[in-house]
Amino acid sequence: MSTTVDSGLTVAWDITVDDAPVALSARGDLVAVAGAEGTVRVLDAAMGAEMGALELPSGALSVELAPDAGHLAATGPMGYALWRRKDGRTTVRESGAWSAAAAWADPVGVPPAERSRGWGRVAVASGRRTLVLDADGEELWRTDPAASTVTDLAWMRQGRRLAVAAYGAVHGHERHTPKPVVTYPYVGSHLALAVAPTGKWICSGNQDASIHIWRTRDGSELTMSGYPEKVSRLAFDDTGFWLAADGAPDVTVWDFSGKGPAGTAPRSLRCHETVTALAWRPGNGGHLASGGADGTVALWYATAGRPQQRLSPARELTGDGAGVAALAWAGPHLLIAAYRDGRVRAYGVPSRTAL
Amino acid sequence: MTTTPEPRDERVPVTVLTGFLGSGKTTLLNRILTENHGLRIAVIENEFGEVGIDDALVLDAEEEIFEMNNGCICCTVRGDLIRILGALMRRREKFDHILIETTGLADPAPVAQTFFMDDEIAAQLRLDAIVTLVDAAHVLQHLDEVKPEGVENEAVEQIAFADRLVLNKTDLADEETLGEVVRRVRTINSGVRIIPAQHAEIDLQQVLDVGAFDLERVLADDPSFLTETEHQHDTTVTSVGIDLPGELDENKLNAWLGTLLRTKGVDIFRSKGILALAGAPKQYVFQGVHMLLDGQFGRDWRDGEERRNRLVFIGRNLDRQALERDFAACLATAGAVA
Repeated sequence: MSTTVDSGLTVAWDITVDDAPVALSARGDLVAVAGAEGTVRVLDAAMGAEMGALELPSGALSVELAPDAGHLAATGPMGYALWRRKDGRTTVRESGAWSAAAAWADPVGVPPAERSRGWGRVAVASGRRTLVLDADGEELWRTDPAASTVTDLAWMRQGRRLAVAAYGAVHGHERHTPKPVVTYPYVGSHLALAVAPTGKWICSGNQDASIHIWRTRDGSELTMSGYPEKVSRLAFDDTGFWLAADGAPDVTVWDFSGKGPAGTAPRSLRCHETVTALAWRPGNGGHLASGGADGTVALWYATAGRPQQRLSPARELTGDGAGVAALAWAGPHLLIAAYRDGRVRAYGVPSRTAL
Repeated sequence: MTTTPEPRDERVPVTVLTGFLGSGKTTLLNRILTENHGLRIAVIENEFGEVGIDDALVLDAEEEIFEMNNGCICCTVRGDLIRILGALMRRREKFDHILIETTGLADPAPVAQTFFMDDEIAAQLRLDAIVTLVDAAHVLQHLDEVKPEGVENEAVEQIAFADRLVLNKTDLADEETLGEVVRRVRTINSGVRIIPAQHAEIDLQQVLDVGAFDLERVLADDPSFLTETEHQHDTTVTSVGIDLPGELDENKLNAWLGTLLRTKGVDIFRSKGILALAGAPKQYVFQGVHMLLDGQFGRDWRDGEERRNRLVFIGRNLDRQALERDFAACLATAGAVA
């Protein structure tokens, strides 16, 4: 594959899929891209070669590769599907229920000897419930119905607790207990969920144009309001000290170190008119990628400067006009961008410390 | 007439079909889908129907009403629609029109407010009109149904919100009943265009792409919207139309309208108007759903055209005298008139 250059970055590969991408996932040596009409492609991260494919007949909303890149879960408006790498087996479950998100229990930080507990399980939103499945799709347990359709999921405590967002609250569930063991109430439509890797904070992005924050230790709450639009994308970096959010033309980056963001102002990242994707670079460098409806991709030293400061991008890729649908890092040196016109591009970012 | 070409609104129109079970919604939906109009239509159904048409994408949804934390108790949106419309708009295949069929018990307000409150939706879709179907033979019975305290009569609500009312099954009701139905509908919603029909057979142009929420067309297509009806003091949901010559003091108007919507917004289902602001060469056009108001300057006042203000409120327990009096007090020359 030929190597071209875009705004100083090498383009490692560039392919076009036959659907409008809505989600990306990158784990290990794989990248998965899901399209709105339900086409899911599994690609080799290094070259972009197709490694597998599946179809969700009623469309797709999200896709998640397992941490070991051996399995994949894709979700959609009428159900979900699973894919297994070793033999390419695909299981499609058309339940009729809206399936907004899937989350693999992530064994990061779990010693290998203890991984059997947190490894190879996936939580899949299914209407108002969440199903917890083994990697091959066997149901292990399910939660009781939430107040509305589940909107987002996240694992906590090395995969021992599952956080579920729906209207009115975020619920914490533990294995084989359908009823929540803890409830974080907030009357509002929670659109996105982010749990700090430190385990200290649970954050939800809301339809009412706010971010709601709970400290897990005591359940104390904080609301960041004043966003011009709904907050539907939230992302913590690997350290758990920084949270990036959409909801405004500027990406806001909040400092969650120490006592948290109460009484502080965020950094503002000015590049896009409408933010459509956020992805932190793996590591602790505070490097963030963001994408916009206008097709621009920006790379940021997002934690530089002072609170309340408006930052400019370290690098800006102008694209071809098609909006950015999703961004994902396949390791620290490869940024994958999926565009609404079906284009999927991998940008090489060679330096570990620079963008 | 000005000849300046208006920028075309490229957003996809969305029609909301409401009406009681048995009023003919599914029949009308089937007619819209099978008619040879060449449009790509997507349908969102809240009632599990039997509709299955090759040329249309049909999606089922369960009504989910979400409150907004903006200090406005009547600000609710439909979470299910936000989700489904969002997913629809991400597809490559583009739709020319979207139809939302609500259940017979649905409150149209959260549906309409969704198009005001969600920027992502407002950027890509426009609410075209709320079309309410009523069964001519049975609607009086529904309107007369006494509800427990605090529970709205859904039939009244759906008529109050309607931009177009399809008076269906006229073959099954006698002249006297039809006359009474029209009278009752007009009491609730004086300006609604009534389309009589049998078997939901209507000219689709009367209900599709009518631009009822388009400020350019707010009153232009509806000269009858201020038609006065006999006062009905015994009905709680009514229309109050005001037609007043003169120019308004913008500050007084803002103060009055702001207070009115803040304090009575729960009871005011819909409002619209064309106003003459003192010193403004253009008409000021507005329309609202409960507390949410959308306004802008419209066309120029023509030479020699009388500056006057026309507005209508549809809602519950409206105090006509107070509305007329307080609105008149917003005139720039209010002192002289009084």
